[in-house]
Amino acid sequence: MARDIKISIRNLYKIFGPTPDVALAHVRRGMGKAELLEKHNHVLGLQDINVDVHEGEITVIMGLSGSGKSTLIRHLNRLIEPTAGEIEVDGEDVLQFDENKLRKLRRERMSMVFQKFALLPHKTVLENAGMALLVRGYSVQDFEAEAKKWLARVGLEGNENQYPHQLSGGMQQRVGIARALASNSPIMLMDEAFSALDPLIRSDMQDLLLELQGELEKTIVFITHDLDEALKLADHLVILKDGYVVQQGEPQDILMHPNDPYIIDFISDINRARVLRVRSVMEKTTEAPESCDGDISERDNLESVIAMSEGDTNHTYRVMRKGKQVGVLDMKELVKALVPTAAAEGNERARY
Amino acid sequence: MATYTSLFSSLGLEAWCAEDTSDTPLSMTDLLKKIQGTESEPESLWELPFPSMDAFHEACASFPQSRDLTKGLEQGFLDIKDNLSVVLDPLTQPLSWFLDGALYAILNTPWWIVIPLLLAVVFVVSKSWKLVVFVGISLALLAFIDYYEYAMQTLAIIFVCAFLCVLFGVPIGIAMSRSDMMQRLTIPVLDMLQTLPPFVYLIPLIFLFSVTESKLYGIAIILYAIVPVIRLTNLGIRLVDKDVIEAADAFGMTSRQKLYKVQIPLALPNIMAGVNQTIMMSLAMVVIASLVSAPGLGVLVLQGIRNLELGVGLVAGLGIVILAVILDRVTKASLARINAAQKQ
Repeated sequence: MARDIKISIRNLYKIFGPTPDVALAHVRRGMGKAELLEKHNHVLGLQDINVDVHEGEITVIMGLSGSGKSTLIRHLNRLIEPTAGEIEVDGEDVLQFDENKLRKLRRERMSMVFQKFALLPHKTVLENAGMALLVRGYSVQDFEAEAKKWLARVGLEGNENQYPHQLSGGMQQRVGIARALASNSPIMLMDEAFSALDPLIRSDMQDLLLELQGELEKTIVFITHDLDEALKLADHLVILKDGYVVQQGEPQDILMHPNDPYIIDFISDINRARVLRVRSVMEKTTEAPESCDGDISERDNLESVIAMSEGDTNHTYRVMRKGKQVGVLDMKELVKALVPTAAAEGNERARY
Repeated sequence: MATYTSLFSSLGLEAWCAEDTSDTPLSMTDLLKKIQGTESEPESLWELPFPSMDAFHEACASFPQSRDLTKGLEQGFLDIKDNLSVVLDPLTQPLSWFLDGALYAILNTPWWIVIPLLLAVVFVVSKSWKLVVFVGISLALLAFIDYYEYAMQTLAIIFVCAFLCVLFGVPIGIAMSRSDMMQRLTIPVLDMLQTLPPFVYLIPLIFLFSVTESKLYGIAIILYAIVPVIRLTNLGIRLVDKDVIEAADAFGMTSRQKLYKVQIPLALPNIMAGVNQTIMMSLAMVVIASLVSAPGLGVLVLQGIRNLELGVGLVAGLGIVILAVILDRVTKASLARINAAQKQ
């Protein structure tokens, strides 16, 4: 699983205000966001962010509005300049790039999908999809085939000559995704790409993204405020609050071992049976169980196992990965895992 | 003894005041006073004059009168006028050529070429047959009452001036939109051009250029009409959706690509609204500019005023209204076409 690190963010700070350097010194001495705003009138955007984005994975950065997630993703292609810190892409420090190198990075190595689609309203769908290539100096004839291919891939065959305003929101965002894919860049930044869409279409788009990702293996940084979406998409989940990273890691791991009341609060409302997977709750062993009621895959979610057992908690299953046993799942353990962490630990925090 | 004499004596300036008393120019009121021989002496606080330049002058002859101020300004302008002309004359000479050329061309081309050509232009920019018919009837009406030449002169001047306004105004507007400093510096100038009564800037222009040259009225029209196109270009570019600009940045557009492929196309509805305003203001000014020898319908209006020829003035005024309606409808139709093409 250890893939190469594609983007590495080290000790990143961003402070908004007239004299961020002065404010930075205060923050490094331990001043909090509220105090900084009150005493020095500077807004602490990001605070000591350290995140590694691995190649070919979807890294989801999740947080509520104001947590700094959109600010963070804009640092990766330097739409926003940091106050302090380092950002390395393929081992090169992006912050040292001059204008030309930065432009080359944006054109060839990173593409972006936006919450509000941000298509060019005066260009056709085809020209929008080929925007990245148009920017590099190709003519419409040059990129027509490429753009059409990606439009077809996202399900927009036959819409090439329409204008964005003639399409629905979901279709417009498909154009946005086709535009990012057509740039053929290894990294895709997605800023709340599906947040403006209604739930059913959002779910469709998530499936589309996962399907594309299975095929293309891009390095994707995905921003969202929706935990279900984050858990569905993430290989690596980063949870931001007030500009700092509360917890990051494998989503299953965060679900099973939340290390902060904020996160416990966050995950208490989700459907754990659908999100948790067998490998997170199984007992790791290669020894065959005493009694076995069937084989299940480690990637199955608990919901499907419950359906299979028909609710019988006496069942025990062998957990398989590529035909080999990697663990054993007792249905009783499964049922325990469905109880949210806070309640399980007898936490006295008020939950309502 | 004037009111403020004591002030000057208390400051010990009596000697300076007495130095010269003779060669100050007399104003009409002074002259009248002298003739009537009534030296008005304020007796009570009620009649205390404001401590103005003239009041001080009365108390102390060496203190300059307010008339000296305007006179000084005039003298200053006359002094730099020759030097200014050396620079401005060659710079603005092409304007004379454009105007004279356009007037010559439109008057020496037969009407059966000019009118169909205008109608073709109307169709190209508006794509509306209704409008073409309307413009055709209006022009035919003007020609039928023998106002064809005057109307064409007015149109030729408007075309040249509006074209130059756009040529200079759009780049200035773009520069303003790209730099807040530039915007801060330009806005007071635009405000001044827009609020200054047009007659006021005709005065220095008459000093600078000879009244026989067509660039005189050309400059007056351009100064008056360029403001809206600058303002609306600036506004249009600043109003372009921030998200789209961000996307352009994220995909690595250069600022030139951003300008030509994103900002100008998206600002076009606003820029066209500015062009419409500019054309309408050129028309307003071309009438006033007939005072400084601009040919066209304005001359007839002026003739109507000067000779009290009511009928001539009224019909010429009506002709101007018809031209205004034509220009407005045509530019608005093309604006509507652009808007429809990029509805968001």
